[in-house]
Amino acid sequence: MNSIVEQPADADVLDNLLVIAPGSHLHPVRHARDKVVSATQGSHALFFNAQVQDGLSLSERLLVAYYASRLTPNERLAGYYLEQLNALKIDQALLAKVDADAVESLGDPRLQAILDFTRTLILSPVEGDQQALQVLQQAGLTTAEIVVLAQLIAFLSYQVRLAAGLSALSAAGVA
Amino acid sequence: MSEPIRVNGFTSEVLGWKAWLPTIDLGSATPEQVAVLEESHPQAKVSDYYLTLAHDPEILRQRSLAFNAIMYAPGGLSRAERELASTVVSRINRCVYCASVHAQRFEQLAKRNDVIAQIFADPQTAGTTDREKAIVQFAIDLTLEPGALGASNVQPLRDHGLNDGEVLDLIHAIAIFAWANRLMLNLGEPVFPG
Repeated sequence: MNSIVEQPADADVLDNLLVIAPGSHLHPVRHARDKVVSATQGSHALFFNAQVQDGLSLSERLLVAYYASRLTPNERLAGYYLEQLNALKIDQALLAKVDADAVESLGDPRLQAILDFTRTLILSPVEGDQQALQVLQQAGLTTAEIVVLAQLIAFLSYQVRLAAGLSALSAAGVA
Repeated sequence: MSEPIRVNGFTSEVLGWKAWLPTIDLGSATPEQVAVLEESHPQAKVSDYYLTLAHDPEILRQRSLAFNAIMYAPGGLSRAERELASTVVSRINRCVYCASVHAQRFEQLAKRNDVIAQIFADPQTAGTTDREKAIVQFAIDLTLEPGALGASNVQPLRDHGLNDGEVLDLIHAIAIFAWANRLMLNLGEPVFPG
């Protein structure tokens, strides 16, 4: 498969990853709901816009996405986000700690707080209470950054279930 | 409307929601923030939830486009069955606020609430027909174990008459509540009447 990183900017990430190509039985089914396709891709493009200037950095966002994909788990999405991180020349020692689920040993209080929040919201969202937001504030995140982080993790929870549902429908073949 | 259901800490009565973070101030909001609020929901300008999410208006815009396209688009899976799935997901994720809102919407659309009482009591056994049971089970499986979902989870839906367009609508309604529940659970809390 070609590198996902080199896909054109307007390509649909889920169609590419799940190989939902024109001619497949699933393509017309999915694209009959084109507003959902475009808002899903539109959200993805906003969260992972390489031109992000302030707030959560692109590498922080991709680490959240990679960690979330590992926790859920979803190998295809984890592989996709890993490729994006490697394209940014991410520190491999840091990545190894994320892989080992050793967030407490990162030595970076801001990133640790971000990934701890990610873990809670991915695995047990009911446990993400007001105290969890205070931890983010104490690690220096602004209100706007916390809103973007919560939106990002919530979006990833949506994206992974959409991907899983589409894969199941694809595997089920023509009805 | 019938008496509200109250089971296991879940309710179908109308709840409020209050934010844990400072909301945007409408008086000093940017034109884009105001425009996105107006696009998102009729009550967005007086809702703590939308006034929190408006800190990033572009992300809110895409979220609202996805949400509204999934829950309100004509055709495909009935709107009542979409609300049924959303209520199951909210019950599984323990989002009391979302469960209340979508229980009410289901009742408005379906003119009954028997299955809502079952979902609040025990989602694993809920469903007043085999078709409802299949929808409920799929919503539980995709919510709790997306990594384990496969063709065998789709078959019971097909067996109970859902075509692939309806299965897709169901997947969308379940997935969008993975998103919505986390915002409602993790950025604020429900406010109970009285």
